[in-house]
Amino acid sequence: MSRFFTTGSDSESESSASGDETAPKAPGGPYSKPLLLSEDEEDTKRVVRSARDKRYEELTNLIRSIRNAMKIRDVSRCLEEFELLGRAWTKAKGVVDRDGVPRFYLRILADLEDYLNELWEDKEGKKKMNKNNAKALSSLRQKLRKHNRDYEGAIAAYRQNPEQSDEDEEKSRRDSEGSASSSGAEDDAGNFLKRRDREEPRGRYKEEESESESESDEDWGDSASESDSESDEDDGKFTSLASKFLKKDEERRGAERRREEKAKKKLERKSRREEEEEEEEGGEWEKVKCGVPLVKEKPKMFAKGTEITVGLVVKKLNEILQARGKKGTDRAAQIELLQHLVAVAHEHNLGVPLELKIKFNIVASLYDYNPNLAAYMKPELWQKCLGCIEELLELLFAHPEIFVGENVLEESENLSNPEQPFRVRGCVLTLVERMDEEFTKIMQNTDPHSQEYVEHLKDEARVCAIIARLQRYLQGKGSPEELCRVYLRRVLHTYYKFDYGAARRKGQVKDGAGQVKEGAGQVKEGQGKEEEKLEDEQKVKEDAQVKENEAQVKDEEEEEEDSEALMERLCRFVYAKDRTDRIRTCAILCHIYHHALHSRWYRARDLMLMSHLQDNIQHADPPVQILYNRTMVQLGICAFRQGLIKDAHNALLDIQSSGRAKELLGQGLLLRSLQERNAEQEKVEKRRQVPFHMHVNLELLECVYLVAAMLLEIPYMAAHEFDARRRMISKQFHHQLRVGERQPLLGPPESMREHVVAASKAMKTGDWRRCHRFVVNEKMNGKVWDLFPEADQVRAMLVRKIQEESLRTYLFTYSSVYDSISMETLAAMFELDLPTVHGIISKMIINEELMASLDQPTATVMMHRTEPTATQNLALQLAEKLGNLVENNERVLDQRQGAYGGYFRDQKDGGYRKGDGYLRRGGFRQERGNY
Amino acid sequence: MLKKTLYVQYTPCLVVLKIIKHYQEEGQGNEVVQGVLLGLVVDDRLEITNCFPFPQHTEDDADFDEVQYQMEMMRSLRHVNIDHLHVGWYQSTYYGSFVTRALLDSQFSYQHAIEESVVLIYDPIKTAQGSLSLKAYRLTPKLMEVCKEKDFSPEALKKANIAYENMFEEVPIVIKNSYLINVMLWELEKKSAVADRHELLSLASSNHLGKSLQLLMDRVDEMSQDIVKYNTYLRNVSKQQQQKHQYQQRRQQENIQRQSRGEPPLPEEDINKLFKPPQPPPRMESLLIAGQINTYCQNIKEFNAQNLGKLFMAQALQDYNN
Repeated sequence: MSRFFTTGSDSESESSASGDETAPKAPGGPYSKPLLLSEDEEDTKRVVRSARDKRYEELTNLIRSIRNAMKIRDVSRCLEEFELLGRAWTKAKGVVDRDGVPRFYLRILADLEDYLNELWEDKEGKKKMNKNNAKALSSLRQKLRKHNRDYEGAIAAYRQNPEQSDEDEEKSRRDSEGSASSSGAEDDAGNFLKRRDREEPRGRYKEEESESESESDEDWGDSASESDSESDEDDGKFTSLASKFLKKDEERRGAERRREEKAKKKLERKSRREEEEEEEEGGEWEKVKCGVPLVKEKPKMFAKGTEITVGLVVKKLNEILQARGKKGTDRAAQIELLQHLVAVAHEHNLGVPLELKIKFNIVASLYDYNPNLAAYMKPELWQKCLGCIEELLELLFAHPEIFVGENVLEESENLSNPEQPFRVRGCVLTLVERMDEEFTKIMQNTDPHSQEYVEHLKDEARVCAIIARLQRYLQGKGSPEELCRVYLRRVLHTYYKFDYGAARRKGQVKDGAGQVKEGAGQVKEGQGKEEEKLEDEQKVKEDAQVKENEAQVKDEEEEEEDSEALMERLCRFVYAKDRTDRIRTCAILCHIYHHALHSRWYRARDLMLMSHLQDNIQHADPPVQILYNRTMVQLGICAFRQGLIKDAHNALLDIQSSGRAKELLGQGLLLRSLQERNAEQEKVEKRRQVPFHMHVNLELLECVYLVAAMLLEIPYMAAHEFDARRRMISKQFHHQLRVGERQPLLGPPESMREHVVAASKAMKTGDWRRCHRFVVNEKMNGKVWDLFPEADQVRAMLVRKIQEESLRTYLFTYSSVYDSISMETLAAMFELDLPTVHGIISKMIINEELMASLDQPTATVMMHRTEPTATQNLALQLAEKLGNLVENNERVLDQRQGAYGGYFRDQKDGGYRKGDGYLRRGGFRQERGNY
Repeated sequence: MLKKTLYVQYTPCLVVLKIIKHYQEEGQGNEVVQGVLLGLVVDDRLEITNCFPFPQHTEDDADFDEVQYQMEMMRSLRHVNIDHLHVGWYQSTYYGSFVTRALLDSQFSYQHAIEESVVLIYDPIKTAQGSLSLKAYRLTPKLMEVCKEKDFSPEALKKANIAYENMFEEVPIVIKNSYLINVMLWELEKKSAVADRHELLSLASSNHLGKSLQLLMDRVDEMSQDIVKYNTYLRNVSKQQQQKHQYQQRRQQENIQRQSRGEPPLPEEDINKLFKPPQPPPRMESLLIAGQINTYCQNIKEFNAQNLGKLFMAQALQDYNN
């Protein structure tokens, strides 16, 4: 192939190269030698080869070896090579995306499929096959089928006319060569169309050229820009990319609409095209065979010449719908039929209500497409669905006089009589709700670290926009129940997002006009990380939000309204009007979450306490419980940010102490319990997972919890060093400490946990500077603290807390060494101001934690030395233990005396004695105090 | 052959010094050193005239044969004309915690094989405080009986009438040196400076006391657990007793009914098969713990008495100086 490269422009060589690949290859493999030779030649003298050539060469080599293997019926080898081919193919993806699927690749796929089918059918041969080959055959067949699914359209096209389509392509290329400047773009456009939306038939590409210039121009235009943006594959440019995609979608929709109009004029042509399209469609899905007869019928859906009336169309519609759910019905074809029906209805001006009715059914059958509840929609179907719903809403807005309701009976529908109000059966709300669920499902089933996820996430803006529009529609005419439902949807899409707009406005107020831009930018930077770790994701989300805002602006929606006000308004309505408990519970939880996310701690807490959700949440269904857990966690983090350590610890305790935070928050399944549940349960659990972009950062969560526990536990431990009955505040924290102690060699801390453990150790000795260094440093900033919206505030709070708690710990630990200590020294040691030190010490004295008194004139703390010494403490412990022993002994005696069932009495006795012991201890203290 | 229960032991200085040296060289902290005592029985006394240490165990030479080593050692000693009769063993101790199952077992096997054998307990910590602490113990005949039966159930121990006080008997020790050595000791004492003997007067006490208390507490905890275990056992037994009783009554009633109907009574089943009695917890452990607690208490008492004495002395001295 290198020979062709010596002359001609780039585009020419490209087209001829692929032509060369395919044309001589048609007869089979015998000419592989010369090709090899030429490559060898080239290898020796090659200077520069484009990535495209390299990839293609790799592919052709692999394909050749597959063909060889096929010839000698070595299936296992075939499988190996095919796997390699698949890998090479993904590598070549970038090239292929630009050029379209090369013919030779399609050929090998088609041939391989045929070959395998042949082998598969050949039962005799299969029996004779050795074990390895048989195994390889089945797995290869499966793999191929999976792989081919993505290229079905192209393969089918190839199968139809392997030679001709080659020629076409070449021809079209040659045509395009005429204008050298646009040829590349055109090429791309064609390929792009092929790849991106397979519902667009390949045939259209040809047609478009012959069709009116404007349309094709447009298509080229945007796809050219598309290819531009794609060609620079810089990850950082997602935002611009996103906007382009979105714009393109709109334009494409516009184009579709225009095409429909055109179709009205050119009916024959359209029907022909439809047919082609149909065939393409049919090739794409698997059930070609059942679909085809139906499709053939379609052009004759209405006999020529019959006057098409509403009644006829409705009859037809019912006919189509009756096939629904039956075995052997091609669902794809059904969708297609319905779409055709809409076109027909539109053509004949049969009125909006009828169109509405059919569209309702289209969306419904789109949902029906997947028979399995767990499976999720394919991207193209999903796009279709979104488009359809948007159109539906547009129609509804344009014709507010039409009454739509799910309670409208079939008989009472009024589709054509203009004198009476139009009545159509159907429920937009349900459709939109279902759409939202489908969206969640798509997000759940996409790998969150892939580009695909980002692509899907871009649709969130559209989903939000649809919900917002629906909300406005229903505000006009819906019942309170319906409004509650749509409000909840809205709330569910709002609550977990940080409101940058509001934060920015706040920042503007604070910073004054001068630094607005910078400040807002920074705030945005810092806050963006709250929810997501991945940078690009964050960008996309911001982008999505901007988009959403734009959409709202466009829709004259409350664009200036803060999400806080929005939440408030929606939730209040739900609180007042909702009659199902579930929606209200969800709304409350979302509201609290939103408050907590925006650091409105007291409102969040009050709402939580007033709602009494904590008492009966265990009766709720799992998704609500997950939401509750998420809310509690967010509440805890919020409390932490506000410096309310104890509240933070209490809120997080339940989630963290179980060690199943991941599971409880619906952010992943635990491997540990894999054996305990069966496949069915696992599926159910998977369906409950929260999509990745809504996740709470688990490391942040754990860090917040551990630091909170450290601030509480270390002074407590110091205060109760000798207390035999000492209780742990946080088991998990102690566990981490123990893990830290068990380490044979203590290096500098690496992970977040190690940092906290090291900080705890420093705090134990009252060394707040070291403690501070361990808690707040580069690593921890990157891992945890920078994820907070107001990171600096949190850090400042942390320093202060560390200073205070270190002071307390220091006093507890070393008070026995001092006779008196000056508060000024303490203040200097812990870099606190005198009143604070005074306050802390006074508090300790009042709480009887520190046996000391303050000497006002000299500002010193006088120690009273009433704490028992080590030996005394030991003796006290011993006494307590002996008490226990005696108690146990007496129980044995009880047994002897035959007092069966004296359990309760024993318990009571024990309790009493314990109390007694405690009193004794108190007494001891007093005694010592007097002395 | 030996009828007297009381032995007076003559332990020449050599043995004592060898034990101390052994500990100094090999024992650290709460590690325990052990060795063999050699001597002979003369009239009603057991004379211990020599000893040698057991080599320290290491993980590396697992196939080291201890018995072989002992035999070798004794044969060698015999060649140099030293008493080679095995009469017991010695062991160092850490704050008096020697009343353990291991000690019981090995002393039992010694006493079982060689009736006159004793165990010599050397307390290095007390010795370091200025007074040599060396004690000789034997198992009481009662305990020997129980150990021979290997039955440590509560009933057996009760029947044998064993309590922690009469598990071990202490044998008085007399250290008897040759006159020449005595003379030399006198001379040494004259020469030694006063400061060397002041360890005896050290007032620092809390460390020793704290350690003892800690150990005592641990034992008390164990004791508590043991009692709880015993308690559950008792409860289980009584519960089962009730069940058994109920079962029997039911059986009886049924039989009466059957008789009235003229049917043959149900066959007698082995009631013990139906109700397997719960496994009684072995009580030896708790006895040993009790014994250990006792020693600890004795130790602490002794120590505190001395300390108080010292404190009073110090106070008097202070007053005098003032």
